[in-house]
Amino acid sequence: MNTFWTRLNAVFFFGVTVLLCLALLTATTTYFHKGLPEIETLSLNKIKSFRAQNKVDRAIINFDLTADLRPAFNWNVKQIFVFVTAEFSTPTNPLNQVILWDRIIERKDDAFIDLKKVLSKYGLIDQKNELRGNQVTLHLYWDHMPLTGRLYTHSVSKDTFKLPPDYITA
Amino acid sequence: MMKDLVNGQVEELGKLWKNKRQLSFQVLNLAMIILSALMIWKSLMVLTKSESPVVVVLSGSMEPAFQRGDILFLNNQDDPIRVGEVVVFKIKDRDIPIVHRIMKVHEKPDGSIEVLTKGDNNRVDDRGLYAPNQQWLQREDILGRARGALRYVGMVTIILNDYPIVKYVLVGIMGLFVLTTKEN
Repeated sequence: MNTFWTRLNAVFFFGVTVLLCLALLTATTTYFHKGLPEIETLSLNKIKSFRAQNKVDRAIINFDLTADLRPAFNWNVKQIFVFVTAEFSTPTNPLNQVILWDRIIERKDDAFIDLKKVLSKYGLIDQKNELRGNQVTLHLYWDHMPLTGRLYTHSVSKDTFKLPPDYITA
Repeated sequence: MMKDLVNGQVEELGKLWKNKRQLSFQVLNLAMIILSALMIWKSLMVLTKSESPVVVVLSGSMEPAFQRGDILFLNNQDDPIRVGEVVVFKIKDRDIPIVHRIMKVHEKPDGSIEVLTKGDNNRVDDRGLYAPNQQWLQREDILGRARGALRYVGMVTIILNDYPIVKYVLVGIMGLFVLTTKEN
């Protein structure tokens, strides 16, 4: 009986130690992976709507996106979370960042994105009504979500456009 | 077999009680282990500036990246919160920490921020989860940014919480073994 428990003890704790070592190795070797995706285009295609709704400015845009994110995948990536953000500055808020569109990519094969005239999922909404005539920059971010270890995000800023001086009432 | 085991332990405890010196040694041993664990936890809290440097993912709203039972290492340094970061926050007066992504950031001239969050796997943003009339989260609501992950280890915490009896049994057995193990 003594030897049974001792053996179980040994197997269990050795197993856990091995697992922890493997996790540590996986996490540290990921640092050496330099994945440089190529983002060809991220640009405004059309401003679909731009008006004030419930006392705040709200714009919905269509954009084009061509990006090859396959190099970002490595042995330790569970998924890449890609998202497009709009960044702008207003007198009330010097910095505003809003996500317009996102996508989960789980496999390397799905990581080549070639989209035209994509409708943004979430509106470009200001906290007040200071969007008219404002400069907006579009950024593409990709977040590496690991199997084990560090989460890290890279981003690239691509296009800047100006919102119309008046609401579009079409 | 179990009976012998229990009897063996009871015998050991009896012997221990008679030998006060040995008893104090074993109790101090146990205290050392508990206090070391506590020290490590507290130092992690200081290092990461977070009241909760390690959290267990409880819901499926960030799947498939983070599943129920994964643990996340948090960091609450003063770098400003920016869009796209995976953060853990608590809504005022509620106990459950929620792990979601920052969807919108609005930063005022004085550096204070108002943010909106959303789970990757949810269809809508978190406004429905916030307190009544609350539109935005403030910096104080955020416990930290997720910086690293370790899979499955958190299942232990989830089991311990769902079946509290396991907690008492485990702690009891561990305490017993530490008290009665002799360095031969």
